[in-house]
Amino acid sequence: MEIRTVAVIGAGVMGASIAAHAANAGVNVLLLDIVKPGNPNRNAIAEGAIERLKKMDPAPLMGSRAVRLIKAGNTEDNLDDLKDADWIVEAVIERLDIKQALYKQIDAVRKPGSVVSSNTSTIPLKELASGLPESFTRDFCITHFFNPPRYMRLLEIVGGEGPQFAALQKFADVKLGKTVINCNDTPGFIANRIGTYWIQSAMVLALELGLEVEEADAVMGKAMGFPSTGVFGLMDLVGIDLGPHVNASLARLLPGSDAFHSVNRDTGMIEKMIAEGYTGNKGKGGFYRSTRGPDGKRAKTALNLQATAQGKLEWRSSKRADIPLVKDARKDLKKLLNSDTKYGKYAWGVLGRVLAYTASLVPEIGESIADIDAAMRLGYTWKFGPFELIDKLGAAWVASRLPELGLKTPVLLERVGQGKFYQPGEGGAMTQFALDGQYRPIPRAPGVLLLEDIKRVQKPVLGNKSASTWDLGDGVLCFEIHAEIRGSLLNMLDGDVLGILEKTVALVGKSYKALVLYNDDLREAPHKTNFSTGANIGMAYMMANIRLWGKIEGSMKDGQKLYQAMRYARFPIVGAPAGRALGGGCEMLLHCSAVQAYAESYIGLVEVGVGLVPGWGGCATMLTRWSQDKQQPKGPMPAVAKVFEIVSTATVSRSAAEAIELKFLRATDGITMNRDRLLADAKARALAMVAENYTPPEPPVLNLPGATGRVALKMAVDGFHARGVATDHDVTVSAALAEVLTGGDTDYLDPMTEDDVMALERKSFMGLIRTKESQARIKSIIDTGKPLRN
Amino acid sequence: MTNVVIAGYARSAFAPAKKGSLARVRSDELAADVVRALVSRTGVKAEDIEDIIVGCSFPEGEQGMNVARLIGLLADLPLSVAGTTVNRFCGSSMTSIHIAAGAIQMNAGEVFLCVGVESMSRVPMGGFNPMPSPKLYAAKPEAYIGMGDTAENVAQRWQITRAQQEEFAVKSHQKAAAAQADGRLTAEIVPISNGKSTFERDECIRPDASAEALAGLKPAFSKEGSVTAGTSSPLTDGASAVLVCSEDYARRHNLPMLARIKSIAVAGCAPEIMGMGPVAATRKALARAGITANELDVIELNEAFASQAMACIRDLELDPAKVNIDGGAIALGHPLGATGARITGKAAALLKREGGKYALSTQCIGGGQGIATVLEAI
Repeated sequence: MEIRTVAVIGAGVMGASIAAHAANAGVNVLLLDIVKPGNPNRNAIAEGAIERLKKMDPAPLMGSRAVRLIKAGNTEDNLDDLKDADWIVEAVIERLDIKQALYKQIDAVRKPGSVVSSNTSTIPLKELASGLPESFTRDFCITHFFNPPRYMRLLEIVGGEGPQFAALQKFADVKLGKTVINCNDTPGFIANRIGTYWIQSAMVLALELGLEVEEADAVMGKAMGFPSTGVFGLMDLVGIDLGPHVNASLARLLPGSDAFHSVNRDTGMIEKMIAEGYTGNKGKGGFYRSTRGPDGKRAKTALNLQATAQGKLEWRSSKRADIPLVKDARKDLKKLLNSDTKYGKYAWGVLGRVLAYTASLVPEIGESIADIDAAMRLGYTWKFGPFELIDKLGAAWVASRLPELGLKTPVLLERVGQGKFYQPGEGGAMTQFALDGQYRPIPRAPGVLLLEDIKRVQKPVLGNKSASTWDLGDGVLCFEIHAEIRGSLLNMLDGDVLGILEKTVALVGKSYKALVLYNDDLREAPHKTNFSTGANIGMAYMMANIRLWGKIEGSMKDGQKLYQAMRYARFPIVGAPAGRALGGGCEMLLHCSAVQAYAESYIGLVEVGVGLVPGWGGCATMLTRWSQDKQQPKGPMPAVAKVFEIVSTATVSRSAAEAIELKFLRATDGITMNRDRLLADAKARALAMVAENYTPPEPPVLNLPGATGRVALKMAVDGFHARGVATDHDVTVSAALAEVLTGGDTDYLDPMTEDDVMALERKSFMGLIRTKESQARIKSIIDTGKPLRN
Repeated sequence: MTNVVIAGYARSAFAPAKKGSLARVRSDELAADVVRALVSRTGVKAEDIEDIIVGCSFPEGEQGMNVARLIGLLADLPLSVAGTTVNRFCGSSMTSIHIAAGAIQMNAGEVFLCVGVESMSRVPMGGFNPMPSPKLYAAKPEAYIGMGDTAENVAQRWQITRAQQEEFAVKSHQKAAAAQADGRLTAEIVPISNGKSTFERDECIRPDASAEALAGLKPAFSKEGSVTAGTSSPLTDGASAVLVCSEDYARRHNLPMLARIKSIAVAGCAPEIMGMGPVAATRKALARAGITANELDVIELNEAFASQAMACIRDLELDPAKVNIDGGAIALGHPLGATGARITGKAAALLKREGGKYALSTQCIGGGQGIATVLEAI
């Protein structure tokens, strides 16, 4: 059995977003909701939800094709259509009676062997299934998605055994790209059980210890590997009204002995906020609000936490919490946790409780600590799971400090003693500690290949501080960029990175079969990672400052030469981006023989943002791709105008699917939905090309319009300038870009080569980098990370 | 001299480009549907038609390849009916009528189909390959000036405020909405069917247009400007057709005559104020007809922009009450090549409906021109 058609019932935010993501996976989706009384359009609710999907931010849909796969309907007229669905997801209101009534209706029409699942987060499987026939319950399970479903990689599945569930798991893994964690049927499953306890502890202790929301969020944020929003910011983001439902269900279902009850205190604050409409970002604001001051300007305000103890909701102007201890915590977490300040007490008070609570939940919520860590990383975007955190601090150290919080040491923590929860086993593969005192391998599904596993057992073939080359076996090398700037893996391209790439290309030519360009950054949310953010403009800026023009042009030529060597190599080079691939990083992909992209790839030529034009063959390649597109109107201008539009506005794709629409990727390039499968897919792609006797492409010939095209583009830009959309320097940069894209002084009848266009790239680039306006743009990005609109 | 008459007028309903009901309809097929309907409604013998003359502003892509011949074939006209495509931008299909009138008067045919079509969804303004002459652009950049910029220039030089333009636009919508509601547009519209649904109602009209709503729009062409999307005609898809023949022929065959063509004219003007083109063209046409502006009973003056329409009304001393009685292009839409046949056919139909002696249809043309036709009641 294979899942080819999905139905989602319930077109609320979760239901509609799940439908969108199933469409992202390329299957047909039926989205049903009730008939809205009094509305002549019986599909109004589902259709409205689909319209909203197109506008939501972050976008639930990956491209224009996906939305066309979703069909709207209603639960009165279209129930029969469920007979075509292989998987039916119920995402209606959290009420047992309503859900069960719906299951009976579904069961009457669904096809045999189809899977029915509930997206419940608060009702146990045994309650949902109670009283329903075995013929239904044997095909029924819980599939618990996290919001937003496109971006959150965790899918908790409760229950389900048999081939139909194997098909579901495979679909969820390969097509939806989720990491499936099979959970026990316990309240809150894994992630919400721990996550809710974490949020409640952080809220209650902040009140108790007298912290303000900014202080609490600074401590309980990035410094400790939690989301940068902190807990209060996170509640604003997900919706403050969500908490009470989840808390109430946990309170109802958990035994009186569970530690959750000790932090589930009624502060009155949350209820009051909800009652007055302060439900977070979706409402009138929450712990943080943007309000208009007396001067009419918008300013960020924060709730006065301490005033809420007196039952008052008061917002005051928000101030950044500048706490040196917190700043140092990324390097020295213990210093914060040992500190006698209120910040230290808060940090340990929350973390100690969460770690002890988590350890006490094994094996109740699950036996595998690796699963629990993964659930927290992928469902709550923690950088480290609770057991990874314990290992960082030392299990014995954590145990030794629990008495301060009045907590007993959980059995699991006692058993690990002085040891670690994770340690390399035989052959270097990582193993995990279990309650019986044994270390067991952490299973990797077939088709999952992680660079971090390879790194544990081998030394790089080539490498320096910014880039390394690894041997993936079967004659395939993997080139990895790991160039940090100020603690962030921006993976900018400089001499170090390109030097290793050049050597790698030469080495593969001599002794290997194929090359993959890929990097792991699995601790970050995938949509926040970087394949490469382009050439190191800091270096270029420095050279411009001391007028080393020849050197700048030299490095442009070197880059062009290297990328050309990649394109015309006699072996296949497969780019495997995840996250951002911008500027020179995008151009690297443009020169690959094929690309296998992670679905969350954000690709673009953004050089105009720093007042420059693509200079490593990006213009030439994009012109070639758009010229060869038979869907485009004929003649000298359509391809030029299209590339000009994309590059002059620094368009970045919001997914790999959209990158295909923009031609940063080719229709023949592949998309991998599951981040963990990207490297294996790329390697397989490279080997398939080897098997098909790969030959490099023929150099393209371009016929560009010359001066007439330049005038046409100039007129368009002048219009944007008059309207105030383009700035003064935009006009200059656009003219330099137009010069490249129209082929300089060529005539349409004269064929041009890539080299001709790349010479124009260099000319325009060098002209622009000499201007003080472009230099000011570069400086702004370096200093503030924000583009300057001059 | 042989008298020339307009003996029939029909058009498709007009739809906003890209998002309207005609976005996925090919221009050639759209025009063929209108032609087929006009032939059948007038009862003209198709084999008597000398030529089908199609005006189109950007005759390329689906409206290229001498689309006139293709429209004739699509409409199943006899093979003996010839076809030619003419381009005078927005004045294209009024030029079709002028060519027909001239040919009839020199005895080069008795019956002509004068058609206009534009799909601004499917062929962009400027065409797929805008390739201006660098030499001309260096010497006279205004040759390629954007239409919105010309509207700004007119607003500035003729001192027409944003509020005045918006009042004019609201009135255009109100007139068109009333005409639509009263069924006064129904007779001229040819229902277009795509097999699944039928399109027969103008989609650009906004009955609820208000000065307040328009005041909230951003200037569309210049940051400091006064012209907005609300005071400009929208990008539109549509087709129109007029049957032009000699008065003798019409009488012989008992065709329903709407009006006689009294005089025609074209005139050039400065490209940067192309919106004022109707002034010189109208003055010439009126002089050739031997009448003055105040003798006109019906006026169809194309509303490319509120600013130019108002400035022309002012300079020509036209009576606003007689201008665009059923609404103008700001409300109905302006499928470039189709507008000339629409306003000339409409002026003829209105002259018959409203009574009176003389009618005028006139419009401005990108690049700096105007075109005008004076009609006379029969």
